[in-house]
Amino acid sequence: MTTRSVSEASVLRRAGVADPERVAGQIAQIEAATGLRLAAAGVNPAGIDAAGINLPGIDLAVLADPDLAVLQLLRLVEAAIESGDLDRLVSVVTAPTAARLAAILGASSALGDFLIRHPSLVSTLASPEPALPLSASAARAALLVAVGADPSAPLPVATIVGAPGVDALRIAYRTLLLRVASEDVSSPSPVTIVPTVAEALADLAGAALEAGLALARADEPGYAETRLAIIAMGKCGARELNYVSDVDVIFVAEPGPGADDARSIAIATRLATAAARACDRPSSELALWQVDANLRPEGKDGALVRNVASHRAYYERWASTWEFQALLKARPVAGDREVGEAYFAAVEPLVWEASQRENFVEDAQAMRRRVEEHVPALEADRQIKLGPGGLRDVEFTIQLLQLVHGRADESLRIAPTLAALAALRKGGYVGRDEADRMDHAYRQLRVWEHRVQMARMRRTHLLPDSEEGLRALARSSGFASSEALLEAWHEIRRDVRSMHLEMFYRPILPVVARLSAGEASLDTDAAGERLAAIGFADPEAAQRHLAALTEGVSRKAAIQRQLLPAMIGWFAEGPDPDAGLLAFRTLSEQLKDASWYLKMLRDSGTAAERLARLLSTSAYVTEALLASAEDVTWLDKDEDLVPRDEARLVHEADAILARSQDADQCITALRGLRGRELARTAAADVLGLLDTLEAATTITHVADVVVGGALRIAMSEVGGGKAPFDMAIIAMGRYGGMEMSYPSDADVMFVYEPHDGPEPAEADRIAQHVATEVRRLLQTANPQPALDVDVDLRPEGKNGPLARSLASTAEYYGRWSEPWEAQALLRARPAAGDEGVRARFVEAIDAIRFPSELGPEALKQMRTLKARMESERLPRGIDPRRHVKLGPGGLADVEWTVQLLQLLHAHEHPELRTTLTLPAIEAAVASGVLRNDDAAVLAEAWRLATRLRGAMALRGYASQRTNVIPGDARELKVLAGILGDGWTGTQLDENYARAARRARVVMERVFYGWEKE
Amino acid sequence: MDKQQEYVLRSVEERDVRFIRLWFTDVLGVLKSVAIAPAELENAFEEGIGFDGSAIEGLTRVYEADMIARPDPTTFQILPWRGDRQTVARMFCDIQTPEGEPAMADPRYVLKRALDKASAQGFTFYTHPEIEFYLFEPLVDGEPPRPVDQAGYFDNVPRGTAHNFRRQAITTLESMGISVEFSHHEAGPGQNEIDLKYADALTTADNIMTFRAAVKEIALEQGVFASFMPKPLDAAPGSGMHTHFSLFEGDRNAFFDAAAPLQLSDVARKFIAGLLRHAPEVTAITNQYVNSYKRLWGGAEAPSYVCWGSNNRSALVRVPVRKAGKGQSSRIEYRALDSATNPYLAFAVLLAAGLKGVEENYELPDRAEDDVWELSPGERRAMGYEPLPASLSDAINVMETSELVAETLGEQVFDFVLRNKRAEWDAYRSQVTAFELERFLPVL
Repeated sequence: MTTRSVSEASVLRRAGVADPERVAGQIAQIEAATGLRLAAAGVNPAGIDAAGINLPGIDLAVLADPDLAVLQLLRLVEAAIESGDLDRLVSVVTAPTAARLAAILGASSALGDFLIRHPSLVSTLASPEPALPLSASAARAALLVAVGADPSAPLPVATIVGAPGVDALRIAYRTLLLRVASEDVSSPSPVTIVPTVAEALADLAGAALEAGLALARADEPGYAETRLAIIAMGKCGARELNYVSDVDVIFVAEPGPGADDARSIAIATRLATAAARACDRPSSELALWQVDANLRPEGKDGALVRNVASHRAYYERWASTWEFQALLKARPVAGDREVGEAYFAAVEPLVWEASQRENFVEDAQAMRRRVEEHVPALEADRQIKLGPGGLRDVEFTIQLLQLVHGRADESLRIAPTLAALAALRKGGYVGRDEADRMDHAYRQLRVWEHRVQMARMRRTHLLPDSEEGLRALARSSGFASSEALLEAWHEIRRDVRSMHLEMFYRPILPVVARLSAGEASLDTDAAGERLAAIGFADPEAAQRHLAALTEGVSRKAAIQRQLLPAMIGWFAEGPDPDAGLLAFRTLSEQLKDASWYLKMLRDSGTAAERLARLLSTSAYVTEALLASAEDVTWLDKDEDLVPRDEARLVHEADAILARSQDADQCITALRGLRGRELARTAAADVLGLLDTLEAATTITHVADVVVGGALRIAMSEVGGGKAPFDMAIIAMGRYGGMEMSYPSDADVMFVYEPHDGPEPAEADRIAQHVATEVRRLLQTANPQPALDVDVDLRPEGKNGPLARSLASTAEYYGRWSEPWEAQALLRARPAAGDEGVRARFVEAIDAIRFPSELGPEALKQMRTLKARMESERLPRGIDPRRHVKLGPGGLADVEWTVQLLQLLHAHEHPELRTTLTLPAIEAAVASGVLRNDDAAVLAEAWRLATRLRGAMALRGYASQRTNVIPGDARELKVLAGILGDGWTGTQLDENYARAARRARVVMERVFYGWEKE
Repeated sequence: MDKQQEYVLRSVEERDVRFIRLWFTDVLGVLKSVAIAPAELENAFEEGIGFDGSAIEGLTRVYEADMIARPDPTTFQILPWRGDRQTVARMFCDIQTPEGEPAMADPRYVLKRALDKASAQGFTFYTHPEIEFYLFEPLVDGEPPRPVDQAGYFDNVPRGTAHNFRRQAITTLESMGISVEFSHHEAGPGQNEIDLKYADALTTADNIMTFRAAVKEIALEQGVFASFMPKPLDAAPGSGMHTHFSLFEGDRNAFFDAAAPLQLSDVARKFIAGLLRHAPEVTAITNQYVNSYKRLWGGAEAPSYVCWGSNNRSALVRVPVRKAGKGQSSRIEYRALDSATNPYLAFAVLLAAGLKGVEENYELPDRAEDDVWELSPGERRAMGYEPLPASLSDAINVMETSELVAETLGEQVFDFVLRNKRAEWDAYRSQVTAFELERFLPVL
């Protein structure tokens, strides 16, 4: 190896060449063919013989991929020799403009291939005229001329037709593209010129469609009978196209002179199809890009071409939100200008109506979430366009702001993303700093996108996954190394993500809350507009709360100024943003001296979001948090939101009872325990961490613990802690079925067994006292929440003694009881007290509640009683169908049906012996006494009714009110939000009515035995 | 404010409109109107006009009385009634809840939902009604109605009231942008028929509502009385609204298949099968009054039995003979509908019934070649021709078990119709009629 070759290899390596030996060989081949010698000038000028450098314009050190550049130059030389264009090539590579050629050869194998296919076109790169900014009309003329059409004709028609015409069009397009690309990649500051490049690409696409149309006309003799316009949508419409992208278009046509609409549409459809195919069908010259007409009304099922009126009618009646977002970018690009303008004038106003549409913001945000979910997880990290923090996010944020404010402010009605951003900034709708950062992020992302697309002219939005690919991208976009590029990439993505919140929500804060001079602060009207757009019903009140929260110089105000932009967004996602913000203000005022509070909201990843969600959703939880503000700390940790298991609660209750002898102290602590667990469960319920039925189980367990504690206290108060009997408390009704809701009463019975010895009358007297005391402990006024104890289901109802001995209870049921009392016993579940009494109670009643036979008399009585209840028990003045408990198809209908099946069959089928409704329904199917489809109908109605009552309780309704679905439209919407099934208020109403109607049909057949013909 | 709304505002000013009537339809198909002054119009576009929905049949449940009417500017039309000295215009409205959600009980929304469902399967639904009605001399209390003439089918009555009337009606309708295809004298004395041109179902339904209002107005102007009552005279035929249906997939008529028998495509055959199978369930909607059943069971071309045929005028569904080469005009005719139906609800349930047939691949029974009326009951049973419900009571009982109708109307409308119609039946049944008095009083 000679000294010279060693030094050349090292120079090449320092210039960024990956395989110096091979490249040196190629350089030698080029030299042999042309007499010209390439080198890596500027890297180490002293290291090379000066005589060897006679191509000063080509500097390998600045090229994206020097290996590729040299290889492609060699192939170009070979092609030029073959085609006789060598002199032309030599004159280009020795001119100062050689840098452009080298830059292209190093950046794009696809454009290199194009040159190698057409070496004569190399001289286009030697043109002294700058390619940018591209003149749209010149591009149009060049492409029309290429197909032999007259650019000045009103309807240019190609004279070079068929495959040669298509190829001529594409070659002319790529020749111009080559110039644009070479100037782009050799620019010292690509981020500066990226908008100009994007405009040029869009105008080139428009010119190609125009030439395509000229080709189409050549095959369509009746072309003058239609006036077809091509409207570009999306990036092409906004004049911000990238190198390779589907070009979204819409075709619109009006009849030409003397033609009717049907004929016009028929001709236009053929023209449109042919024009599109001239750009995208296979031919010897590669296709340019796909022409995508699927944004048209009705998508790919719709007519390809419509007239203006038909377009407008569609958008007025059928279109969905995303279609309006698409219209924001519509622009006539080819064909009949007047028709294009007429289309634009017809649909443009509709775009600005879109922000008034129902659910506009929800739709738009849901749309974006869907897009993100479609990005395959493997690629999300490399997605320049669709991933989190990518181009789509930037565009989305800007478009959303445009749509919200563009109605009132026409200066915002601008299609290109960067221009729109500038207008938003100028109008004071976004902060200066944020606008600048967003602008930079967008430009940088676009430059990367352009570079990765240009390499192979493929429609890709992925950063390269190979080290070499990343290195080339870094070199072509001005980064020193791939590490530097990746660092910038991650920073931009983070920035874009956080900027959505910053740009959208921060300017809502009043002027006093500005953190720095560069921030925007909207005037009252614009802030109100934005608050209303995200769902605040009373923007003025919201602005007052925001002012109160952010005013002043305190540390608290400063932290809240930081927190609020994000929190406003979270409030807005809840069903009742106004209530949420007000509650947050109240809570913050209550906790103004608690330093941990704001610190936690600021530092925790989830607490602030969860708090906002709870406060804007549930009045029940809000009240609980206001009563016991330190519970807010749970929101920081998931494990604090998991319901405590029963054993742990029992243990805690034991500890409370062991600690103190004072009855009031003990019961207060126990009731506090219950209040705390209800709040925890409700919070988890609202946050979707558990469902209504799990919540019901927890609420029931907590009731068991408190009831049991109250019984122990009451027992310890009599006879010096030695009562002459044992007692158990039997849970009945919904409490027995473990289906309690937050505000439910506890239905109970007290049963005791006297010890041997003392007077039965004396034991009974004391037992009555204990039962009374248990109720007093649980219900009397106290700082901690009460549990109302309902004893109406005891033997003899209101006339019976409060507590009854087990023997008397068994005797009563055995001898006197009505069928409905046996039915009530189906729900009897020993909940607290002496284990022996509990077990013997169950033994005593099983024969009654699971009879070997239910006589026809009893059956008739039960049915009559139910029918009477339906007419009498429902409150007056309400629509029975809205009563989820007693109305047709409501809880009672389902439960009575299930209970009848239990009375009839549980003796024979022990699996039916449960106090819980849903398991009983399942058991009925398993035992073959209920049809599967009937069971599904009953379970669905019961579950929905139960969930609805849970939602109403969380919303803060008093117990009685949770029985009736509200008629108020807003309340319905809020309840639908709490249920979280994605329903609107009217859908909730409708879905419940449907479930209940079906359940009623099953109930009438199974319970009443009514058969329809 | 969009261009269409601006156009309306400008027209109101230029034409010196003094009142704008906001039109919507209650669940029974009765046109309701709220008049507003031009000054309120801008606000009506921006926010809608609040009104007390509890006063309107079936529109709301009483405790949520507040409703919003949102005028649809594309339906703006000057009312050409000559009787009004001041210029009056109208627009149809969509009804919303105060939360801005569409009201489930708005019949227009019921139809829109049904059309959306069809559109999700790629179909648009076109209808073409033939509306029959009677012209009477002005009504006198206590006396039977007197028809304006004694002519018959297609008779040209020289200088007849009906002739002038139809000419005036057609001019008026055309001036309101409603194309009329055909008009002639019908079979009964004083009975007329006017056919509206093919249009998508929502436009047709709006047009039918406008048509009824226009016909009533013009009759008043001419000193006569127009009635859409299904069967006003016991000895003359009732007023039906035979309606032609077709489905389009994009620009293609989905009912047409050049190669198939009768050129009826597979979709058409299944659609007919759906109409037939569900016909009894939807009858309480298509024939909604106690009086409707007197037409339905009164002979004279009214279809009483569930069957189909080509050019069989006794069949419930008729496939008209098409002119050769007119594939786009393939359609089928449903003959049970009467002129007093609520067109929004009727089109919605019939479309749903037909689509159900398409979705679930119903098998089309053989077509009826005979005059079904001439067959004996035994023959009809043997051939499987089920009767339509014989009374409103029967119709309600069948509809009550229909998931199809409940889903299509929505639970709220479904429930309202059931309750309203039961009440109508109960009130009807409690009558002691002239028939009973005449026949029984003398002998019992």
